[in-house]
Amino acid sequence: MLFRRIYQFLIVYCLGVVGLLAIKYAAGLSNYVIPGLTLIFDTAHRMLTGYFLDVLNTLSVAVLGQMVSIAMAFFVGILGRKSSWAGSFIKVMAYNIQAYPIVALAPIIFILMGDGFLSRLLIASMICYFPLLLSVLGIMASPIKDIEHFYIATGRMRWQLEVKIRAFENLNKLTTVIAGSSTLAMAGTIVAEFIAADQGIGYSIRIALYQSDLACILVALFSIGIIISVYQGILETVGEQMKHKWFAPKEGDLI
Amino acid sequence: MNQKIKTTTVIRAAFMVFCMALFFATAPAFAGETLNYRLKWLFNTSVAGDIIAETGGFFKKAGLDVSVNEGGAGKNAIKELELGYADFGVASADQVIRALEKGADVVVLAQLFQVNPMQWIYRSNRPEIKALSDLKGRHIGITFGGNDETIMNTLLAKAQLSSKDVRISSVRFNFTPFLKKQVDVWPVYRNSQGVILEEKLAAENEQVKFFNPADYGVSFVANSVVTSGTMMKKHPDTVRTFMTALLSAWEFAMDPANEPRVLAQIKKKDKGTQDDIRQKQLEATRPLIKPDKKTKIGVIDAKAWQQTESIMIKEKQIKAPVDVTSRLVGPTQ
Repeated sequence: MLFRRIYQFLIVYCLGVVGLLAIKYAAGLSNYVIPGLTLIFDTAHRMLTGYFLDVLNTLSVAVLGQMVSIAMAFFVGILGRKSSWAGSFIKVMAYNIQAYPIVALAPIIFILMGDGFLSRLLIASMICYFPLLLSVLGIMASPIKDIEHFYIATGRMRWQLEVKIRAFENLNKLTTVIAGSSTLAMAGTIVAEFIAADQGIGYSIRIALYQSDLACILVALFSIGIIISVYQGILETVGEQMKHKWFAPKEGDLI
Repeated sequence: MNQKIKTTTVIRAAFMVFCMALFFATAPAFAGETLNYRLKWLFNTSVAGDIIAETGGFFKKAGLDVSVNEGGAGKNAIKELELGYADFGVASADQVIRALEKGADVVVLAQLFQVNPMQWIYRSNRPEIKALSDLKGRHIGITFGGNDETIMNTLLAKAQLSSKDVRISSVRFNFTPFLKKQVDVWPVYRNSQGVILEEKLAAENEQVKFFNPADYGVSFVANSVVTSGTMMKKHPDTVRTFMTALLSAWEFAMDPANEPRVLAQIKKKDKGTQDDIRQKQLEATRPLIKPDKKTKIGVIDAKAWQQTESIMIKEKQIKAPVDVTSRLVGPTQ
């Protein structure tokens, strides 16, 4: 799965570059508008190592941001699963916060938290958590009637048990959404770094954009693509292994 | 099966050709059409002459149909010239030099700013910067990758100071570190952000001073009017007419006698700025565009361009000389 992710990314990336080069040569554009292959390779030779380290820096924040957003999504999702007044209030609040553009909230975040690690983490989490929240809310708000009925009828239903049943029955959906949200966490961190940070790949992209250096941007995109593919591949593999482990009958269980 | 694969391939190829055609179709044809003039930044007092040229009817009087378009963070006039989206544009000297290094066909028609508005602001109660050596020990803000980084590095080298002699902080889009006194020398565009900050601090009973690199022999050229070499070659009359109209508009806009009319026109485009700030911004713009009565607006300071190129080579912004002076086709000093 991991290698498939990487070569699929390479195919997409190469197609993109070939498309750009086709436009460049067909329209006779200079290296300033679209860099040629030699310039891209030259830039990669100069910048790739630095960019890989930058992406790893970004990824470390993205992974933490994703964890925070998963926690936030489950917290809000569990609290908001009921169709009570409090549940709907939490849902409305969560939806409204998401509606505000991050660039408008960023100055407030930077004034309160400075422009270091915490701001990056918070912005990454904010961008990543909403799709997760929608899935978690959807899952947590849908009763598994066949199973839950038994516990309700016997008076043994607790909220923890309800959450466990719904999570277990939708494990496939949850792992897919969590793996998918890694891209959003990465994008969120890059946005945060782009707006205000002095490290990470978003910051490097900002510098490259200042200098209108598309070759640097292409190399940065390559680094991001490779590393995010590896990360997603790992998440999917871990998800698969978890499913196998959870669904495998334990010793002494009846099949 | 083979037939199906062939059909799919043909559909994909047709789709790609369609996309390419769409891309090229978006490039406007030139002859007799609207001329597109791409600014470097958003409409504000810094582009007073450009606004007046359009709204004051200068282009129209010259028989030109010109659309003056706002710039912005992701917009690049030189790229648009090459792609055919713009016929004229405003670009900074470093953009022009970088573009020339990468083979772009761009020429400079006029230098709008005779003094670079990129300067540093600091509080008056801090020790005055009278010589470059006074930068020693200061906490200075710079935008990494921006012009101000190149300029500050040059100033520090000139003062024989290393990065260890000062404290450098990365500058972002908000002024909080300066307002909170975390950084004491902060880069601003003198005639726009500089005015706003000056006013904000004055409201808190704090006075400010500006540190202008040009006063210490570092003339890094700012915004200039550019077009493509092809445009210059194929439509020299249009270029001449355009420039005459544009520079007349700038002369009009910078004349204090026309201030109320100019401010009224700017207000139509820049609604977000307060009237008094806009007036002060216009006041601050005049000496940058026309430092004295003798200076003709738009005149190109060839020596400053040469210095800008040398600085960029020294700072490794470009690898080799690009002979930028050969691309300065407007009137030079």
